[in-house]
Amino acid sequence: MRLGTTKWQRSLFIAAFILPTFLFFCLFTIYPVVQAMYYSLFDWSGSSDNKTFIGLDNFKEMIHDPIIWNAMGNDYFLVVGKIIGIMILATFFAVALTRFRFRLSNFFRSIFFIPNVISVVVIGVLWNFIYNPQIGFLNAFLSLFTKEKVDITWLGFTSHTIWMLLPPAIWAGIGFYMILLIAAIQGIPESYYEASSLEGAGQWAQFRHITLPLIWEQMKVSILNIMMTTLNGSFVIVMIMTNGGPDNSTQVMGSYLYQMAFSQYHFGYGAAIGVLILIVSLITTVVLQRLMRQETIEIS
Amino acid sequence: MKSGGLHPIYKILFYAILVIWGLSVLYPLLWTLLDALKNNDQFFRKMPWSLPDVPLLWSNFTYVWSEFSFDKYFVNSVVVTIGSTLLGLFLAASTAYVLARYPFKGSNVLYLIYIASMMIPFSLALIPLFFLLNSMHLTNSSFGLILVYASTLIAFGVFVLVGFFKSLPKELEEAAAIDGASYFGIFFRVMLPLSQPGLITVGIVNVLNIWNEYIIGTILVNDPDHYTLPVGIAMMQAQMQYRTEWGPLFAGLLITMVPVLVVYMFFQRQIASGITAGAIK
Repeated sequence: MRLGTTKWQRSLFIAAFILPTFLFFCLFTIYPVVQAMYYSLFDWSGSSDNKTFIGLDNFKEMIHDPIIWNAMGNDYFLVVGKIIGIMILATFFAVALTRFRFRLSNFFRSIFFIPNVISVVVIGVLWNFIYNPQIGFLNAFLSLFTKEKVDITWLGFTSHTIWMLLPPAIWAGIGFYMILLIAAIQGIPESYYEASSLEGAGQWAQFRHITLPLIWEQMKVSILNIMMTTLNGSFVIVMIMTNGGPDNSTQVMGSYLYQMAFSQYHFGYGAAIGVLILIVSLITTVVLQRLMRQETIEIS
Repeated sequence: MKSGGLHPIYKILFYAILVIWGLSVLYPLLWTLLDALKNNDQFFRKMPWSLPDVPLLWSNFTYVWSEFSFDKYFVNSVVVTIGSTLLGLFLAASTAYVLARYPFKGSNVLYLIYIASMMIPFSLALIPLFFLLNSMHLTNSSFGLILVYASTLIAFGVFVLVGFFKSLPKELEEAAAIDGASYFGIFFRVMLPLSQPGLITVGIVNVLNIWNEYIIGTILVNDPDHYTLPVGIAMMQAQMQYRTEWGPLFAGLLITMVPVLVVYMFFQRQIASGITAGAIK
């Protein structure tokens, strides 16, 4: 074969196809990540002459920063809430749309995925309108049942406002995991279900003993994915809906990073929060994987 | 098989849940359209679910389009989305092809670096990215956004496309080589056309992600001339504290949503396969 004749031609080709991508990737992804760890060791307001090395002081400061703890609590609240809400609903939808043979199953599947293709910004604005105290849906709906007009400021409480962010987050997240689980269920051989039907197993027994064990692997992937995307990305919906307020009560780590760095110009402290997010998500990944370690059954 | 031992009561109950959830998704889209046709007075006087008065206020659309510069945001979003997707696809496809077909010393490590990078929270990179782009004089520029977005697409693209290239038969490449095609010729004339389904899947997923992206867009761009649509929407919402114009805001939301909904309608299958491919990491 001619391909092997000139070795340097092959090497040239490999270099030409590997190096540009790798250099690009190093410049815009790896370098910033390393740089972030470096910045986290400085007290820095953004200008070059105002940068002092302070070692781990940013991290020490975090321990005494109540907002950080509150933000981390909110992050975990969203992680747990989203895992429970999304997994229950996505699994239910996936099973209902594959095993129950409902009419219009394909139509429902297409519809349920729509929130996943819409920008989080749009979703945040729409839900802000639902919660709007004067003209929003929720108050108008509740007013139908009361004598006086309801005017609850849903996003205005200093405690529990984070609860209000959970419905949009779950609503927006379901479709993706439903598609994933549908694919998993469709990979289960029909003969398994037929055999169990012959033995008189009902839908519930089939779900418990066939579907669940065989899609457990994808459920684990989903749970880990929800955790990671929440710790890393939930701050966008926070920024759009509450901007961390009122009184920092809905701050999550990412939104606090943004506020510290880009509104208050504590870039060193902001970078340190970024490092914290990295550490927290790595630890949580390991812990979750341990918790979910259970024999997975492969379809041979 | 019959619908497997499901009691009729459960059947009705489950079906009702599906219908309710379906409405919870479709209704907001409908109400966005309806509310985009109202004026402020209708928002405050009537229920949020009431129909807009006739004549419908289509002028809200022209108003956001020209007064709120959504025409600029729209063009910026299109330029940035297409530019970064094409650049990211090319960078990912070239590397993925070599990794799949011409393994070299260290190619496995390189592959693992790309895969592992998907585990790193992107918020970590935000601050350094801002200063990097600033030092390159690429903040407030669509070109800067294209570069950064393209880099965020590489890892996922490499991951999916390596699998895709490996699944293609080798015979065609060998035949082309015997016919005297060069390495580059084989890639551009044989492999790229063959890998279209994979490229489209990765491309569509990326188009949706970039079109909807907010945080990088807001950090790297402060100049309204270079806002993308999500950044424009967020800014418009922030201004609502001072001047309330709900109708135009909803018109803006619709302008932002409709393109992705159209893309979704046409490429549903590819999006679904992109998801399942990406999640098996």
